[in-house]
Amino acid sequence: MAMTTLSSPVLALTDITKRFGDVRANQRVTWTLDAGRIYALLGENGAGKSTLMSILAGRYQPDGGEIHLRGSPVRFLSPAQALASGIGMVYQRFMLVEPLTVAENILLRRGPIRGKRTRDIRQIRELAERYGLLVNPLAPVRTLTMGERQRVEILKLLYRQAEILIFDEPTAVLTHAEIDSLFDVFRQLKEEGKTVVFITHKLEEVMAVADEIAVMRRGRMVSRVAAAQVRSHHDLARMMVGREVILSVQKPPVAIGEAVLTAMGLSGPAGADRLKFQDVDFEVRRGEIFTITGVAGNGQEQLVAALAGLAPMAAGTVSFRNRAYTAARWRRRTGDGLAYIPEDRDRTGSIDAFTLVENFMLTRLDAFGGALWVRRRRAARATAAAVRDFSIQGGGIRGLAAHLSGGNRQKLILARELSRRPDLLIAEQPTQGLDVRATEEVWQALLRQRASAAVLLVTGDLKEALTLSDRIAVMFRGRILDIVSAREAADIDRIKLLMAGLGKRE
Amino acid sequence: MIWRIEKRTAALARPHAWLFPVSLAFAVAAGACIFSALGVSPLAAYGTMARGAFGSFYHFSEVVVRAIPLMLTGLAVAVAATMLLWNIGCEGQLVWGGIFAAGTGLYLIPHLPPFLAIPAVIAAGAAGGLLWGLIPGLLRAYLAVNEILSSLLLNYIAIIFMEHLYFGPWRNPEGFGFPGTAQIGEAARIPHWFGTRIHLGLVLALVMAALVFAALRYTRWGYQVRAIGLNPQAARYAGFRIRGQIVFIMGLSGALAGLAGMAEVSGIHFRLQQGLAVGYGYDGIIVAWLARLNPLAVPLVALLLGALIVGGEQLQSVLHLPASISMVLEAVLLFGLLLSESLARYRLVRRAAGEETSAAGKGLP
Repeated sequence: MAMTTLSSPVLALTDITKRFGDVRANQRVTWTLDAGRIYALLGENGAGKSTLMSILAGRYQPDGGEIHLRGSPVRFLSPAQALASGIGMVYQRFMLVEPLTVAENILLRRGPIRGKRTRDIRQIRELAERYGLLVNPLAPVRTLTMGERQRVEILKLLYRQAEILIFDEPTAVLTHAEIDSLFDVFRQLKEEGKTVVFITHKLEEVMAVADEIAVMRRGRMVSRVAAAQVRSHHDLARMMVGREVILSVQKPPVAIGEAVLTAMGLSGPAGADRLKFQDVDFEVRRGEIFTITGVAGNGQEQLVAALAGLAPMAAGTVSFRNRAYTAARWRRRTGDGLAYIPEDRDRTGSIDAFTLVENFMLTRLDAFGGALWVRRRRAARATAAAVRDFSIQGGGIRGLAAHLSGGNRQKLILARELSRRPDLLIAEQPTQGLDVRATEEVWQALLRQRASAAVLLVTGDLKEALTLSDRIAVMFRGRILDIVSAREAADIDRIKLLMAGLGKRE
Repeated sequence: MIWRIEKRTAALARPHAWLFPVSLAFAVAAGACIFSALGVSPLAAYGTMARGAFGSFYHFSEVVVRAIPLMLTGLAVAVAATMLLWNIGCEGQLVWGGIFAAGTGLYLIPHLPPFLAIPAVIAAGAAGGLLWGLIPGLLRAYLAVNEILSSLLLNYIAIIFMEHLYFGPWRNPEGFGFPGTAQIGEAARIPHWFGTRIHLGLVLALVMAALVFAALRYTRWGYQVRAIGLNPQAARYAGFRIRGQIVFIMGLSGALAGLAGMAEVSGIHFRLQQGLAVGYGYDGIIVAWLARLNPLAVPLVALLLGALIVGGEQLQSVLHLPASISMVLEAVLLFGLLLSESLARYRLVRRAAGEETSAAGKGLP
């Protein structure tokens, strides 16, 4: 049950109910929050966590129930009202104006900033340093990595003196080192008597930083426990899913075959002022999962875009299926053999307003279309098979992708890309933001893929890298510092050092 | 009980079904206000318009005649907008279709075998619009020039060039100084039916509407166009050639508008003259929007707008109101649609009065 404290709770939710059409996102949720504590909110995708937090932050209005802030009833009609009362939220999709600078985003209401040394900017710098949120206030947000953008979002709230800070899956886009520093920020906030609520799927994060754990399932708050009372990850996982989940992934051995992709001296992107990746060499062999990891913003994104043929490379040679391509010719390569699961599954990997069938055709027009017509029936059959094999839930094959949850959407993309029977599968942050069950399903699919293909995994999630990989390459400032065999990788600290740019083998 | 307006969180299941009637009702009501302000009974005005547009078979045939170019320009705008391209240049493309059709009719047809005459005129009209549409398409695809501006500005060039032709080199030597070319020969005129001015362009427009609909929906090309329009980033990921499609679709859009110009020249005026560029290109934008970019709805909306235009002319001759009243009604119709589209995102919610008292801000510490 709730922690009992002598002081009255800073925030109390009573019987909060919210419906979206026929879906009951929240059903009579009651919860109290105290000042100076860190709360973890857990639950599977679609359990109603984000909805509840959006209600707190004024983005949605509840259909029923009450919110009391320091004892007085409140109703927020907009996020601005909530923030004015000290409740701020960092959404999963950042709410930043990309062409504006960091400082302009933080001071958004005041319009453009002239001059470089204004008092406001100094203030932002001080705030940033105090919490270890390192980011240049004068940099345009457009140029920032996801991790840096998140820091801007937190600074926005701190600058407006938020007392209750809500984070929707704050670690989903972060690397290991960044997560550690984010948790330091959380602890600092707690020291100052602020309340932190964060939504997460990652159980170890809960154990690391939370004081109290709340678990939601199907729109209801099913349990609330002190973090100290939780003995194991299994306890938490069981609370979330309502059944035992397997957290250790079976990894049957697969024979390693020939090199499918060999990268030699890759640099890029072409035409940029500064190279984002340089002299990158590696090979990915059939039967293995080769992982590229690193702190976000060290060139992995640009390297993947270039490998996937979406952006030009400046120099280097790619050898794929025993054919050598120059940097320029690689981009123009046509034909199959390579499948790519992009990081942004909502805006790159699939199209909201398309049905599941139409989305299934996106990268497979050659299979589902002749020169002229699209073979819809064939595509529908293949989609139905994918929906069955990957247990994709939500709306049926004629429903819109927009209505799929994150996990189901990712499974649809995964099913589509695997159905191309690629020789090389590139998977970029494939389980980011997914719940335990969906993560496990994606992992199993990637492991199965080793039987027929080479898998290039790009992830910032160290646990994912260690669970799946045969070899792990660590990128730092655009270069691969070292490639570590996963057997040696029990030495997590070494990988962490590499991610920080240290510990390169002599 | 207190009514309040709340933003919908889920889209309506079938929002399109009632949007159009509501915007029509809005237009009729707003029109009634305008008529009253002009000192005319709205009933009499609408009665006159209705009689003017539907009073007899002849009157209705005139509605169809007006609707033909609107169908084609409406399709032109709709097909480009499917890919998020705004072709505001249908007027100029229509003019070039007319120029090519007239030039073919005047100077080429006499040298062609008769069975080739009509196909040549049609192809020439499409080619004229296509070439003019390619310009903003190429500029957009390769130099990132905004097609809204370039296509709009090209309209003025097209119109001035047409005027140059019929005031200058192509002017009818036997025209007693009247600005216009000579009439094209019988062979170059597309057939008329039912003893009215309804011409082959109607069939052309309807076939085009069906073709565009089917192409967008069932072909590989159409799939790519829709994907690019809905999410260019995903289309790039899928490896679609976006530049090529921009050029292609602007060419296609121009060709459709060019057909409208061809039909006007070869089916109505039989020459290049003042009165070819009367705004069908711009009206096409309204048609496309009211049809919600659905090619099959375009002909119906074009008929409605045609009725407004013909009815508006009756207002002028019978009630002595300015003919531009039909343009006002068109505009109000579009506004009505935009309005009802916005309204569809909200809903009325009933709340008990007590619940409302804890309004925002009141309970803040």
